[in-house]
Order: sequence, then C-alpha cells, then structure tokens
Amino acid sequence: MRRKVAIVGYAQSHHQHNMQKTREDMVFEVCKEALRNAGILREDLDTVITASTDFLDGRTISSVFLSMAVGAFMKDESKVEEDGTFALYYALMRVLAGSHDVALVEAHTQGSTMNPHQVTCFTLDPLFDRPIGVLNDIAAAALQARMYMNRHNVSEKHLAMVAVKNITNAAKNPYAHRKMPDLSVKEVMGSKVLYNPIRELTMSPISDGACAVILASEEKAKKFTDRPVWIEGVGTCQGSYLRDRDIDKLDSLEMAARTAYKMAGIKDPLSELDVAEVSEKFAHEELMIYEALGLCKDGQGKKLIEKGITRRDGDMPVNPSGGALGADPTCATGLIRVIEAAKQIRGEANGYQVPGVRKALAHGQFGICAQKNTVWILGGKNS
Amino acid sequence: MKRNVAIIGCGQTKHSSRRRDVNVAELVSEAVYNALEDAKVSLREVDGFVVGNMPGFEGIAQPEQWLGEWVGTAGKPVLRIATGGTTGGSVGQGGYYTVASGLHDVVVAVAWEKHSDSREAGATTGLTHVALGNIFHASAYGLNLKNLVATSVVGAAAGVAVYQATFYMHRSGCGIKHFDMVAAKAKRNAARNKYAHLQWPGCTPEDIAKTEIITYPFRYGHVCPASDGASAIVVAEENIARKKARQPAWFKGLASYSDEENQLQSENMGGVGVTDPSEQRGAWLSAVKAYKMAGIRNPQKEIDMAEIYQPFPSQELIFAERLGLFDENTAWIALEKGETDINGRMPLDPSGGVNATNAIGSSALQRILECALQIMGKAEEHQVPKKVHNAIAHGWGGVTNYTTVTVLGDSPGR
Repeated sequence: MRRKVAIVGYAQSHHQHNMQKTREDMVFEVCKEALRNAGILREDLDTVITASTDFLDGRTISSVFLSMAVGAFMKDESKVEEDGTFALYYALMRVLAGSHDVALVEAHTQGSTMNPHQVTCFTLDPLFDRPIGVLNDIAAAALQARMYMNRHNVSEKHLAMVAVKNITNAAKNPYAHRKMPDLSVKEVMGSKVLYNPIRELTMSPISDGACAVILASEEKAKKFTDRPVWIEGVGTCQGSYLRDRDIDKLDSLEMAARTAYKMAGIKDPLSELDVAEVSEKFAHEELMIYEALGLCKDGQGKKLIEKGITRRDGDMPVNPSGGALGADPTCATGLIRVIEAAKQIRGEANGYQVPGVRKALAHGQFGICAQKNTVWILGGKNS
Repeated sequence: MKRNVAIIGCGQTKHSSRRRDVNVAELVSEAVYNALEDAKVSLREVDGFVVGNMPGFEGIAQPEQWLGEWVGTAGKPVLRIATGGTTGGSVGQGGYYTVASGLHDVVVAVAWEKHSDSREAGATTGLTHVALGNIFHASAYGLNLKNLVATSVVGAAAGVAVYQATFYMHRSGCGIKHFDMVAAKAKRNAARNKYAHLQWPGCTPEDIAKTEIITYPFRYGHVCPASDGASAIVVAEENIARKKARQPAWFKGLASYSDEENQLQSENMGGVGVTDPSEQRGAWLSAVKAYKMAGIRNPQKEIDMAEIYQPFPSQELIFAERLGLFDENTAWIALEKGETDINGRMPLDPSGGVNATNAIGSSALQRILECALQIMGKAEEHQVPKKVHNAIAHGWGGVTNYTTVTVLGDSPGR
C-alpha cells in the first residue's frame, strides 16, 4: 500500500429489531460516538463515506437527508451502496490517494423499515428470475446449503453447532441483537423451518443498527492515538450472478482473501491469524467461509466446528462477537465485523476477548449467496 | 507522491426516450464496450469496476450483481456508488480514487439510467418519482407528518429548481428570456452531438418562448427530457495512459462537498437553515478545492470550457458563477454576448448538456466524459474551435445539496 492507514476510532449501536429511533438519530449517535472514541472533532475529518441502499432504506437517494447526521456538512463526501466494508474500501482509497488524511465511514440499515429479504427479490434478474417469483435470498441460501451439504456430507447438526457457537457468543456482546446464552443444538434443530434446511436460528435476525469507523493516515493516526489498528491487507471481489456460478463454493471470497493475504504477506492464515470476524448470514455459510478463507481444505469446514477450533477458546476463534447470526443490520454487518476485529486487537472486547490477538481478519459480504465479498487483515502494534 | 491518473477512453450510448432495442444490461454493455474500444483496452486488462445508477428508476436493487456478467465483472472488484443526481460524477471520481490509491491500474467507471423501464416515468424528468417515492414510503412505513409535508411541498427537483431560479433572477437581474436562450443553445449544441437526445438544429430562444410555463419561471421547453442511456470511461495510471492514448485527459483536481439539504430549511429544521438554494456553498467549496489541487489560480482565464449539470437552464448560469467562470451575477450577461456559445470565450455545455439529454445516473459522468472528449479532441461535430487545456465538469444532486466538481487537463499538471 502507498501509505499506512489505521483505524483510530469506531462505534456501533445496540442492534435490535425495532429500535424506536429515527434513522437520522441512530446514525448521528454512532457517528458522534465514533468521533469521541477517536478523540477527534468533526473539524478533523477530511472526507465522509456512507453505505446504505435506497431499497433497504425505503427511499430514493438514501443518503440525501443524512449529510447532517453523519457530519458530512461541507465535507468532501460520497455514498457507496451495499456493505459498509465497501464504504471502508472507498474511504481507504481516498486516503491512499493522498488527497485526504482522515475519513469517517458510516453504514446502517433499519431492517424493521423494509424487510431485507423482500428487498433481495429486487436484486434478481428482472427479466426471468424475478417474474417467476420462487427465489429470494433465503430460498437461494437453502439451495446453496443443500448442495454444499450433499457434496461434503455435512449434516444439519453441523449447521446447528455453528448457530449455537455464534448465538451463545453473542450473549456476551452488549451490542448484539440475538442473545441466547443457553442455546442448545437441539433447540436450534427444533426451530422453525423457513426453507429446508434453513431454520429461524440458522439464519441471521433482521436488525436495526448502525456503525461508524474513523480511518487515518499514518501521521495523523500516530497523533490521535497510541493504539492504532493498521490495515495490512484488503481484497474485494464480485462473483458471477446466481445462475452462472457454482453456488456451493464462495469463489469470489476466495479471490478477495487471496488479494488480502498477498498484500498482508500471509501465507498460512490458520497459523498467522489470531481471530476472524466473518459475515455469515446463514450458518452453513460460515463453514463455506472457513474453506474459502483457507482456514481448512475444501469440504473440511465441518471439522473445525466439530473439534471446537473456531470456538472462542479454540485455536482459531471465529466470530467471538456472535457474527451476523448475532445481529444483522444488513449494510452495517460487515463494518461491524471490522470493528469487532479491531476491538480484539485493542483488547477491548470486554467479556468475549480472545487473549493475545495481534492479527485479525474481518469479512463483509453482499448479495444473494454472498456474491460480493471483502476481506480485511488488521494488525496491532506488534504484528 | 500523488499518482497521476487519466481517462484514456470514453464510451456512451445513443440517448432517446425509449431504447426499446436493448435491456438495461445491453445498454450498459454498449457504453462499456465503446469505452474499451476507444481506449484500446481489452477486458482482461481491466482490474476493477466502479458502477452506479439510481436504483429506484428501473426498480432493480444492486443491478450490477445481475448485469455485471454482460461487461465481465466476474472475479473482479466492483464498487457501487449511488448519490442521486450526482451519481455519475461520484462514479467518475470513484474511478479516479480507485486508480490513484494504487490498488488498481485500469478501471472502468460506468453509469446509466433507463427511465423507460419505469412504470411511472414522470412527465418531465422522471423526477416526480423522487417525491412520490418518498410519499409512498412515508405513508407505508410511518414517516411523521412533518416530514411527509416537507417532502410533498418541495415537489422534487423541479420544485427545488424553481425556488433556486427565482432567487437567482432576483439577485442577478436576469429574466426568463435568458433561460430561453440557455435552453435553445443546449438544443442547438445537442444537434451537433450524435449521442444526444433532444436535438433541434437552429433552435432559437423564440422557439422555446412559445412553450407554456409549467411552473414559474420554467417553461416546458426549459425542462430536460428523461432519457435512456449509459456512459463509461476507462481510467488508467500514468504509464498505461501514456502508452494507450495519444492525448489522455488527466484528472487534475476533484471534490464533492455536501451542503445542507435545501428543503424547508432542512428536513428536521435543525440545521443552519439554507434559505437561498442558489447560494450553493458546497459547489463553491468543491470548485475551490478542485482548482487548488489542479494548480489553477484564475479559472476565468485558465479554464477553456465547462460541462455544467443543467437539467434546468437557470442552473447553467448559477453554477458557472459558483465554479468561478464568471463574476457573481454576470453569467447571463456573458450569455447575452454569446461568450458561452460553442465558439465563444467560455463554451458551456457544447454537448447540449443535461438540458438536452438526461439519463440521470449517467448525466454527471457524461459531463466528465464530454470534458475528456474535448481535451482528447474527439468531440467531433461539437468540438470547441480552440485548444482545450483545462476543462471543468460539474454535477449536482440530492435536494441541491450534493455537488461533484472535476477538473481535467491535457497534462497531469504536477
């Protein structure tokens, strides 16, 4: 990378189903808190990038009444659609280009406003798939899950084990939405089926939530904080459309990870990474993500969950915060993963801290069957 | 230490009210492949995409996930940017930052709109959607009454633009006849641009003046059309740019400052209260920053032409002043003198601009693209009859609170 760039502050809301706050209030509070967390003022910001989509926000030009709330008034700003990690990517590029030093990145969705699953129908091919009316993101995920499970002999119990791990982890995270400290595999397997094998507890909840991250160039970061979290690698990739790809693999995630690992100089992710925060919108996706990230061989994802390797006290903890199964405010979810990874590096994950984290991975995704992915490698002082 | 970045290829589609011969994906591909051909770049050499449109108009959410395959996005980074009217400008600037960051070397930036796919294409610009959309959502999802009233009173882009125009008329002394002149010039220029939508060779201000006033001070002939169309640019870093293009159009300066939304002193009444929507401090700040980056001290002398986002003719005058191309309140005098004509001292919108062609998501990218064409000497019939060293491209959007300003030049500057 042309410059060293660090995360110097962040904040997130208490994600829940119906927040009883306006979008503007919710966003204002996290942005204000992120500035406070970084110990800087709005005047220190050079650029502001937000992430939201018109369909999910339920209005045209979703960002248009948010300039004031995010602190973009009279700032060089822009808005990307989809996951917050894409906004982070754009903000990073603006800092790398040398024309900006400090950036605020904000992402939000209030799932209680527009049903995010209903919105996914509008991302389908409008000429064929949409008129047929049988597909949405859950239905597609069910097809994906079955194909993956059949190919690698994965059982519903494996999916339930992922759900139990993440949802019980979420119970310790004060910001998470779905908290069930005593959840059992049996309870998950007894939860309501939406599209076989997708159950209520093996998919993410519909959350209202927002989060914000402050990025700074090396010179500024060192001025602001003595605990910067450095961005060491990043990769992003869009895969083929649903009908044109093997949905039982996450090829685009694999490519994004390869780019990020190369940039960060990571050869063996399993041994070099200390923790990973991933956006698993469905329990089976977490197993597929293990494989795409190279934490295990193809088809071996189930072994990691069977052996407890990805538990919070395991060798390679994944989603100690509870992940997307713990809270899923659609556009914010990936950026929350970045925040959780940064918290682990800073040792701020009170109650769910993994000891001795120096290098962490964060993952964001968007689109049906995780068509678009971003991978981030973050490092602390001594990494 | 800044990385020099240039536009090395431009592609756009023919614009019209209804492009029934293509679907959205084919429309987008038309622009992308034209740009790649122009840049002499193969898809394999492209290592990223920046895309954008206003998703509400076609009713497709995240359309690049479906139509990406048509233009070869599979396995590549795709950044989707959408900021309303400025979408195209934001996409073009996204293209710049993507390459300037050093993370990518050759990027395609593409923006589009296909209004005719919309069930309720508005009578004038399709912009009634923006207001209607908000009202429907408001009533369906429980926006409070105050916001509902605020949204409906303002009447979308035309609603904001009439207040803006009357404010400008009041303070500058220009009249409706000057809007007739801008609109007629746009249509005349468009007649020289083979991609433009409303082409009217020899259109005179008198022709425009015959049309009815639809909302004071705008006549029917003042208002832009709703077009189907797409535009794309290929953006590359210095070495590739010099190898591929005889005359690349270099990005010299850019900014996009956000102002407060000009809607009943901001939607929540909690802001500083912009009462004059023609004030446009965001546009002014953007221009100041872009000129500073570009090393331009006197835009009136150093800028050779401008492409201004003018769906309504008053905006060509207002923003030309905000970009520092004319002294305050004098753009209409320059217009009278013919200085803004295609062969004038400071040609404004030689392509016909948004007033003649408005595929909304694409419109602000087209401004960048048209400036690039003028610098590269590829504007054909609407090429201005002088050497273009520096050009400025403008876009506005939102509730007149978003601006994108991009300065392009025939050399990287520094």
